Amino acid sequence: MRTRMKAAVVAVLALAVAVPAAALGFGHVARSHTASGTLVIGSNVAPPTLDPTASPAAAIDEVFDYNVYQHLAQLTPNGGVTPVLATRWSVSNHGRTYTFFIRKGVRFSNGDPLTPADVVFSFKRVIAPKSTYPYKVLMAGINSVRARGWTVVVTLKTRDWSFIYNMAAYSNGVILDPRAVKQMATSPVGTGPFMFKSQVPNYSVDLVRNPYSWNPRTNVDAVTFRYFSNANSENAALQSGQIQVIDNALNPNDIGVFKSSSKYKIVHGPTNGKVQVTINNSSGPLSNVLVRRAITYATNRKAIIQAAQGGYGIPLGSGTVPGDPWYIDMAGRYAYNPAKAKQLLTQAGYPNGFSLTLTLPPYSYATTSGTLVAAELNAVGIKTTIKNIQWPLWLSQVFTNHNFDLTIVDHVEARDIANYANSKYYWQYTGSDAVSKLLTAANAAPTQASSAATYKAIVRKITTDAVNDWLYVPEAVTIAQRGVNGLPQSGRTESFYLGYASFGQAPSAAARAQGYGG
Amino acid sequence: MTPRYFLRRLVTLVATLFAATLVVFSLLSVLPGSPAQVILGTQATPASVKALTQQLGLDHPLWRQYVHWLHGLLTLRLGHSYISQLPIGSQIGRSLAVTGPLIGFGLLVGIVIAVPFGVAAALFRRNAAGAAITSLSQVGIAVPNFIVGLLLILVFAVRLGWLDASGFTPWSQSVWAAFKSLVLPAIALGLVEGALLSRYVRSAVLDVLRSDYLRTARAKGLSRRQALVRHGFRNGAIPVVTVLGLEIPSLIIGAVVIENVFTLPGVGTLLLQAVSNRDLLVVQDVVMLVAVVVLVVNFLVDASYRLLDPRLR
Repeated sequence: MRTRMKAAVVAVLALAVAVPAAALGFGHVARSHTASGTLVIGSNVAPPTLDPTASPAAAIDEVFDYNVYQHLAQLTPNGGVTPVLATRWSVSNHGRTYTFFIRKGVRFSNGDPLTPADVVFSFKRVIAPKSTYPYKVLMAGINSVRARGWTVVVTLKTRDWSFIYNMAAYSNGVILDPRAVKQMATSPVGTGPFMFKSQVPNYSVDLVRNPYSWNPRTNVDAVTFRYFSNANSENAALQSGQIQVIDNALNPNDIGVFKSSSKYKIVHGPTNGKVQVTINNSSGPLSNVLVRRAITYATNRKAIIQAAQGGYGIPLGSGTVPGDPWYIDMAGRYAYNPAKAKQLLTQAGYPNGFSLTLTLPPYSYATTSGTLVAAELNAVGIKTTIKNIQWPLWLSQVFTNHNFDLTIVDHVEARDIANYANSKYYWQYTGSDAVSKLLTAANAAPTQASSAATYKAIVRKITTDAVNDWLYVPEAVTIAQRGVNGLPQSGRTESFYLGYASFGQAPSAAARAQGYGG
Repeated sequence: MTPRYFLRRLVTLVATLFAATLVVFSLLSVLPGSPAQVILGTQATPASVKALTQQLGLDHPLWRQYVHWLHGLLTLRLGHSYISQLPIGSQIGRSLAVTGPLIGFGLLVGIVIAVPFGVAAALFRRNAAGAAITSLSQVGIAVPNFIVGLLLILVFAVRLGWLDASGFTPWSQSVWAAFKSLVLPAIALGLVEGALLSRYVRSAVLDVLRSDYLRTARAKGLSRRQALVRHGFRNGAIPVVTVLGLEIPSLIIGAVVIENVFTLPGVGTLLLQAVSNRDLLVVQDVVMLVAVVVLVVNFLVDASYRLLDPRLR
């Protein structure tokens, strides 16, 4: 059959172009199969780089924060702060000086011992003028850092009640081996219970137990994170046993098959995220507070949570989430009431409504809730057109150039209410000066309680001004084979910490108390 | 193939590739969204965005960035991704080790389906079998390859557990396991291409069957089958080979989708990730690679006509 031969010739020719290039580079490649003691976790977004200090991508922190890199203290899934590389700390000088007592006998995964000088190096690396740490601004208040014996003394310019929390929660706080920072992007070194073994970019990351770890021995020998860009493949991989856990199900609406099976368990808990309709406070009718309130009255949070999150969400009414020291439940403030919305629009001078555009980034929570929000706004007379755009375009058009009316986005960062004090922030809040004054007062407050009280005043102010239409706190939904234990019970930490994970053993009481009972 | 013809085609090829570098570079340079802002996210200050833009060299004039990139391409020193810090050459090499074989196997599946079914559809065009094959191929063309992929996963991985639902075991680890991880993706990719190709095979064979030379061959005493095998297939192959050449780009596009369904770390995944991370250097290099493959395959298909058809020599 000569036809087949000719066709085969063409096939071979095509390959002949492609295959030699394939020989260009073969690094060491990860194993992708489950050996005994290897926990394989499915997740959605692969880390763009392995360096958490170069990119804020949550995918980096999910794997490397706490598991590979440790902080002086770290956040627990139930919202507390627990000492890690510092055994304890004291605060003096009216809340401006923090003295950290550094843990002795700690080694990095390459064998280097941890010294207070390494801690000083790590903090100074954040605040250096040329540093591009994504959350640099949170540590901008540091005046000086120095080592004194086995302690590290950090002096702040002004009192900052969030200092410990921010250092524990954000990747700014990672303690680095100064001798290994050059290779951070490709071969990270930390003091955590696991160490980096290998990666297949955009596909998987392998961690193994850190032989030098000071932590109690972990129950799993190794951890593999595998990345799925679509929920169907991820679900099939769990069903066929290729993976044992799905961290943060892409679409909680899809998990019915696991819910109804006794082979799996569903672990869920809140994140720090605020999925919100961001309102451009400087755009036409939206500069009128009555219009913004009308929009908030017009949105049905419960229905949106059901549609976008399969019910796994907590209704919101302001820019604060349960667990914040200043949290107030504001969900009832502008409870769903289309009649009231119409009335407010009439009062604002728009009895026949007006037109606007709802710009949506390409995330399923945004596109799903966006469809509902648009329908609900249309129902009260605001003619809403949906515009779908890519994330980089969202960043330049909406976030940087403020060229939008409404958008829906999940503000994932914890305790980020200070954004309301920034007059240039993309929602362009006109009351930012007043919030800025309150913020200064809150940080200067003599006690944490009085500081929280002032923060609550900020919450009330932004809610009254209806700066944005806050919709809900999405929950992190983890699906695991029954028998995999010790998983984090919330998404409050960016890290998916697996120091307590095990096959079969029940988590200790201490682990459960921190929120690792999943 | 005369040397002069070959030379002329080669010059055209090089000129087209050069034009492609200009198009790719200028298209990506007008793409909205500052890479530094994309990298640093929503909590970054304008000062650190500016600092990173300088670090990445994205504040240099465009022509300098272009010359630098072109120089890298010509010397095959692709440099490092400014996001992952990994060498781009080895990243592309590693993903080609997935996509190259995937496309190869997919094409093979397509040909194995298309040739017998296409020939049969032509030979039995007047009875039920031919009609059945024709309508089956219509269905094959209509079903998108990702649906085929999902169905294959559900049946062979989730239900029967014969093969992995997704993922890829590297060749360096186990050739057999690597091959196994490409079986379902290649079938999903090849099935649709095969259905399409079988239509071309059918019409090519029909043309041959109606030709004068075949009647002459029969008149000389050859059986229908002998005539077809000795004279028909060679002539019928020319349009089919053309279509095969055209199928390569569509197979590459199909592979991007299939890699996504089966979560294979191939060129498509690399490209999609690089686009969404605004990893411009990687995007440029991968798009150029695809351009090179398509242009070179077209060139080789052109050249192969001359092997198949003595009249063109």
